[in-house]
Amino acid sequence: MHSQKTLSPIFSNLAKAAEKQHLNQDAELFGLLAEKFHEPGTRQTVQGEDSLNQLRDGIAADLTEEYPALQSAGEKAADRGVLRALKWGQKVTTIQKTLIDRFLAKGDELMEGKELFICEACGFIFLGTGTPDICPVCKAPHRRFSMIK
Amino acid sequence: MHAARNITLCNKDCLCLFVCPTGATNTETGQIDFDRCRSGCRLCVDACPSGAIYLVMDEYPEPALKNGKLAEAMLSLMERKYEQEKMAESIAANTENPAAAKLAKALRYSCRIVGEDCAREADFMLPQSMKVREVLESIKKNAEPEIKEIVEKLL
Repeated sequence: MHSQKTLSPIFSNLAKAAEKQHLNQDAELFGLLAEKFHEPGTRQTVQGEDSLNQLRDGIAADLTEEYPALQSAGEKAADRGVLRALKWGQKVTTIQKTLIDRFLAKGDELMEGKELFICEACGFIFLGTGTPDICPVCKAPHRRFSMIK
Repeated sequence: MHAARNITLCNKDCLCLFVCPTGATNTETGQIDFDRCRSGCRLCVDACPSGAIYLVMDEYPEPALKNGKLAEAMLSLMERKYEQEKMAESIAANTENPAAAKLAKALRYSCRIVGEDCAREADFMLPQSMKVREVLESIKKNAEPEIKEIVEKLL
């Protein structure tokens, strides 16, 4: 059985899948489970820039270790779904790392006059004055983007 | 199998109203009345000039399970993304710099979406699948009453 500590993203994914089928009650229930099993990250273990650095290092390790290893496993199993998810995930993760690096180098100036947008389909983060026409990672249309407030 | 309308594609041509034998397409909500829709009839699907109506299955075939080790590896990646999500959530909650908080919020959201995609490719694609039922059943055993009630409704 999968560890109960990491069920939240599984359930929030199932909530979205139920919503797509217009199973509104199921979507709501899976959404509730996603909330119940979420352990909010509010513990203040590391401060300020250090914690952003720590997050950056974890993300960087995904790119140098996790994705290449999974890529070979996916190829070996000839699993196109997995390979597709890895391709998108790797691109999105690269952008995450780049954004943190740029923020650590330039500070608040990086975001001046700009907004952050997220592609709801793949997680791509876009920093700019408006949403792109289509998502460069997964090709979802602009209406799948939401602005971070 | 019932029809559903994609509201963002609907151009209000209203040809679905002409062909529907039960009036299921004629609602105030913009969505089709699933209870009145005739299973698999698809007259509205074919009549719509905007391609805004599609059929939703009521029952799905059981999906084939993935290679077990690969599915496990995808779940491990999901766990890493979830840890990063929580770290970002913590940064957003604790930083006093609004720009850093906003970036952390974006990262948190982004990590969640990437994590969900990993879950999808680790046999958690379809809510009706055996794999999902297994997880729900195993939670039910030791869950607190509130969670148990939700799980029972889903099962």
